Amino acid sequence: MERFINILNAAGTDGWEIRDEKTRGWEFYFIRHRLDQNRAKDIEQITLKVFKKIEDGKYLGFATAEVSPTADDEEIKKTVDELVYKASLVKNKPYELVQPKAFEPLVNVPAPLAEEAGRFISAFNEMPETDTEDINSFEIFTNVVERRLVTSEGIDVTEHYPDSTVEVVVNARRDGHEIELYRLYELGACDSEGLKHDVSEVLQFGKDRLRTVPTPKLSGVPVILSTDAALEVYRFFLGSLNAAYVVRKMSPFEVGKALAENITGDKVTIDALRFVEGSPRNFSCDEEGSPIRDLCLIKDSVPQAYWGGRMFSQYLGLEDSFNISNWAVKGGSLGAEELRKGEYLEIVEFSDFQVDEVTGDIFGEIRLAYYSDGKTVTPVTGGSVSGSMLDNLADMRMSSETRRYSHAVIPSVTKLGHITIAGV
Amino acid sequence: MKAPFSKYLDSLVPGLRKLIDLLSESYDYVSVLSTDSKGLVVRISQHSKSVGNQTMTTERGTVVRVYKNGLYSEYAFDRFDPAEPEKAASAIKEALDSQLAVLECTGTAVYDTAKLPDEPLELFVEKECEQLPEEADIKALVEKLSAISDRGKGLSEHVLDCTASAQSTHICKLFLTKNRYLRQSYVYSEGAVFVIAAKEGRNRIGYKSVSGLCGPELFDELEKKTDEAVGSALTMLDADRIEPGEYEVITSPEVTGLIAHEAFGHGVEMDMFVKGRALGAQYIDKRVGSDLVTMHEGALCAEDVTSYAFDDEGVPAGDVTEIDHGILRTGICDSLAALRLGVKPTGNGKRENFSHKVYTRMTNTIFDSGSDSLEDMIKSVKYGFLLEGMESGMEDPKHWGIQCILQMGREIVDGKLTGRVVSPVIMTGYVPDLLGSISMASTDRKVFGSGGCGKGHKEWVKVSDGGPYLKTVARLG
Repeated sequence: MERFINILNAAGTDGWEIRDEKTRGWEFYFIRHRLDQNRAKDIEQITLKVFKKIEDGKYLGFATAEVSPTADDEEIKKTVDELVYKASLVKNKPYELVQPKAFEPLVNVPAPLAEEAGRFISAFNEMPETDTEDINSFEIFTNVVERRLVTSEGIDVTEHYPDSTVEVVVNARRDGHEIELYRLYELGACDSEGLKHDVSEVLQFGKDRLRTVPTPKLSGVPVILSTDAALEVYRFFLGSLNAAYVVRKMSPFEVGKALAENITGDKVTIDALRFVEGSPRNFSCDEEGSPIRDLCLIKDSVPQAYWGGRMFSQYLGLEDSFNISNWAVKGGSLGAEELRKGEYLEIVEFSDFQVDEVTGDIFGEIRLAYYSDGKTVTPVTGGSVSGSMLDNLADMRMSSETRRYSHAVIPSVTKLGHITIAGV
Repeated sequence: MKAPFSKYLDSLVPGLRKLIDLLSESYDYVSVLSTDSKGLVVRISQHSKSVGNQTMTTERGTVVRVYKNGLYSEYAFDRFDPAEPEKAASAIKEALDSQLAVLECTGTAVYDTAKLPDEPLELFVEKECEQLPEEADIKALVEKLSAISDRGKGLSEHVLDCTASAQSTHICKLFLTKNRYLRQSYVYSEGAVFVIAAKEGRNRIGYKSVSGLCGPELFDELEKKTDEAVGSALTMLDADRIEPGEYEVITSPEVTGLIAHEAFGHGVEMDMFVKGRALGAQYIDKRVGSDLVTMHEGALCAEDVTSYAFDDEGVPAGDVTEIDHGILRTGICDSLAALRLGVKPTGNGKRENFSHKVYTRMTNTIFDSGSDSLEDMIKSVKYGFLLEGMESGMEDPKHWGIQCILQMGREIVDGKLTGRVVSPVIMTGYVPDLLGSISMASTDRKVFGSGGCGKGHKEWVKVSDGGPYLKTVARLG
């Protein structure tokens, strides 16, 4: 680190940042329950960012470069000199770099890799598989990360954290027909019980998928989202309050102004959170060194604060902003079972559900849904949904119960009333 | 000029050979992949301008693969000192032995696999390009992209922002075993104009791109994409919502490419055959499309962003005819999947980067051209849509479902474009139905390489895809 600092200080910059991320990881790939391959890694990613004032501070340019940990001083100096030149070419509106601020560090103590790996593998040995619903394959990635940020302004923050990912493919079969379902879990430390609970739910979905009939043509039927697909709905709100979207005039939202007129559904409340138990994103500071704190973003469907990286936050005049890591959506007024009364289509498996953060457009092909006509519930498959979040702001409903997915807590059931359902 | 091979990688060769010798004392097979790929990224919008050197494929590091007792293991690292191969060998052995101890404690059984062959092969390839990203004139490029951004913004009061981006990567890879010594160097580039337009509180995104197996000289083509990107964003602002249903459609080459990729790209990745995750395994030599459907896949099929000379397992690039006049002939395969299936690898073993595992991955996936003109194809449609602009896609190889999110459909009534546009459009369906309904294909074809491809929802690699205009029947929503 010292040689980078020395070279940067001697290079005639108007500011710099060094991000150094060291990752030690273990990976295990399984076909059924037999080991396909094991992998280990020990890698370091060093990124330099150089700032340069242009025309006496009328503009601020910046350029970034990744430098190999094997680079010698000559290579580092050449890279830094090029960065200074490149930064002088891009005329951005000026802004002040992040200054050091006092904060209480979050202490994460990652468990040793061998211990974490053993927990994950054991968890999969204990999954409630049956003769007809089982695990096709799974992949375990468990990492211990050390992330350090040093800047010309005096910031020097180091964070240690566990970072794990698990991919699971589940099969279910009946009468010679076999289907599969896919899940990707982003975790901090291994939560064996949580993992077993989630995979059990997917095994049940697999069983139901084999009993499906084609999705009927439905008109005016509300859609219920009760899996991680609903995260996309709330990411639309978060994205729209990102300073970068606001500065570009892409956001439909404004602080102090209600999300929609005549709100008849549940009112939306979203908080950014510094710490969420089990999250892989429990950080003290964001990647630019701004301390992360709890912050109310939307309260009762009225935006309270924008958030974002330093440049666009400064353009909006936000001094204490930051890039959010964890977030939580407050539950609504009714329980999940209340929201399931009457006619609805509850979609639990999509090919790829998307809510476009820029346009608010909603898309998704249905792999498994439950159609309720108010009396009976039938598993269905096929067809797609489309629509716009902008049409659902006034009357969307959320369950009072909540559920955590990785770094986010959201209502366990989200109900949207204005979605087009294309049946088969 | 030829893209020069990395001097850094050349300097590692003696040390890596020694490392292979050391590890061969403990393992029955050892291979090494070392990478040193440099890049350039310039992105200019009305509100943010940046220059960097990190693209999706820039990297420098080494991964070692070893084999013993039926098990393949890997160790990835980026601090190899060629003067101290003993240190690296010791770290590798210690890490992998620690993993084996955990596997023993958990009673884990191994998916027993045969040893990879190691037939002698030497290859040194430096592909042609006009410029290198390391030597590009950044000042001129910033000015060029700034002019595009300014012009795009000025074309309409509805344009909120116009971003022009350019990135170029100089790939250098070295693959070594006891008997193989492979080196390759090539440059690929991609650029895009990305427009956000708004009207009456609704935003729309227009996007046009260029790509190729070439250097930053490619970016001269970006200027002419500006009007197209702005035009498409403005067109979508006034578009209607589509009435869900089944329609006659003509897919533009970009949409055709997305179908190729999602339908029988992922569907015949043969590592999925090993896991029993692909229906394609049961359909070899059976009909999966109309007679007009012939599809190729391989790094040799086109000159674009992933046209390498050998894959990340040291297998020379190939050109596979996956579908021949509607009959599924074969899939694509990495080396370990090939061993397990008893077939030959096709040169499709790819990693996201040196620190990631190899999977069977696509390279260039392309439908063959036909004999029809676009004009005749439009004339043949009673009521339907000409589909344009690709947003994203998702495959379902187990059930042959397909999801394609598209920018727009241009309405066709009685053989004529009406000027009415619907947007956005989600195309879904059952792949054999979609391919089986192809009734016309145009004589021309295009290849697009500006996107990335994930395996599931991770492991991102560069791919390209394309084909001609196709007429078929699809479900739109």
